[in-house]
Amino acid sequence: MSLRVIFITGANGGLGVATARAFLTESPDNCVWLGVRQRREAAERLAGEFPGRCDLAELDVTQPEVWRAAVEIIVARHQRLDVLVNNAGFHSDALLAQMAPESWRNVLAANLDGTFHGCQAVLPTMISQRHGRIVNIASLSALAAPAGQTNYAAAKAGVVALTQSLAKEVARIGITVNALCPGFIETESLAELDAEARRAMIARIPMRRIGRPEEVAAAVKFLASPEAGYITGSTLKVDGGIL
Amino acid sequence: MSQPTDLKQSLKVMIVDSLMLQVGPEAIADDAPLFGPTGLGLDSVDALQLVVSLEKNYGLKIADTSEAKKILQSVNTIAATLTQLDETRRAQPPRS
Repeated sequence: MSLRVIFITGANGGLGVATARAFLTESPDNCVWLGVRQRREAAERLAGEFPGRCDLAELDVTQPEVWRAAVEIIVARHQRLDVLVNNAGFHSDALLAQMAPESWRNVLAANLDGTFHGCQAVLPTMISQRHGRIVNIASLSALAAPAGQTNYAAAKAGVVALTQSLAKEVARIGITVNALCPGFIETESLAELDAEARRAMIARIPMRRIGRPEEVAAAVKFLASPEAGYITGSTLKVDGGIL
Repeated sequence: MSQPTDLKQSLKVMIVDSLMLQVGPEAIADDAPLFGPTGLGLDSVDALQLVVSLEKNYGLKIADTSEAKKILQSVNTIAATLTQLDETRRAQPPRS
């Protein structure tokens, strides 16, 4: 396999690190860029493990000019960009009646606007290569829309729709765009749960266990692989069978 | 304003290559409309690819859709824009 350049946003979190590691261990020809903002300890540790093949990129996903600058740096270094994983995002749960407008706007900005800006930033490079893979990390909330997550569910449903629409626009140029909906995954956001809430959560999962970040990473890696070349506009659930 | 024939020829080759058209460059007339049923029949996705190719190959930055519509009418209009861009660049004093 020849050089592949992969850009992963939200790369300091559990899913981001696991995804980056999956690509880095897949092939010594893979170079991975980790988009980070405030927290970067885990990303720096990973970059230290793979010197010369893993770098950090300063990235506020809500800012289009920051996106352009980050992509320019990557393309200047490698003359290509093969895979974008739009993984950055967060949730800020509240009932709609009590939700602060900033909470609505911030969640939409990070999860949906960030995905839009990311796709827009990488498309010129991928179009000129006539090749590219975009994997947008959505959420089971996009499909199940639980109470207390109107902002997050709307944003992630938007990500799924963006994925389907963009996939049609760029299919003939050799670019695939797919969405991935993780269910309950063992990441930092579940660490806050107490034992009782955790038991209740597991009881809702047909597989009776919480997913591992590596299991989501494997699905991302597949959607970015040559073997997935005919898959585009798809939404893949990695949820232990909840939906 | 007349544009060099070799520029128009290289534009036609770029159009055929970047859009993977099933016709040869010689099938594209200089003044034939690139878009719509009466011309080459390109669409908005083709336009997107042309914008990227023109920036990559000629350094032409097309800011928005309305500008793209004006410039991408035909090989002639693209060549005219590139000739004008070249003249503007030549007129600028070199950076010290």
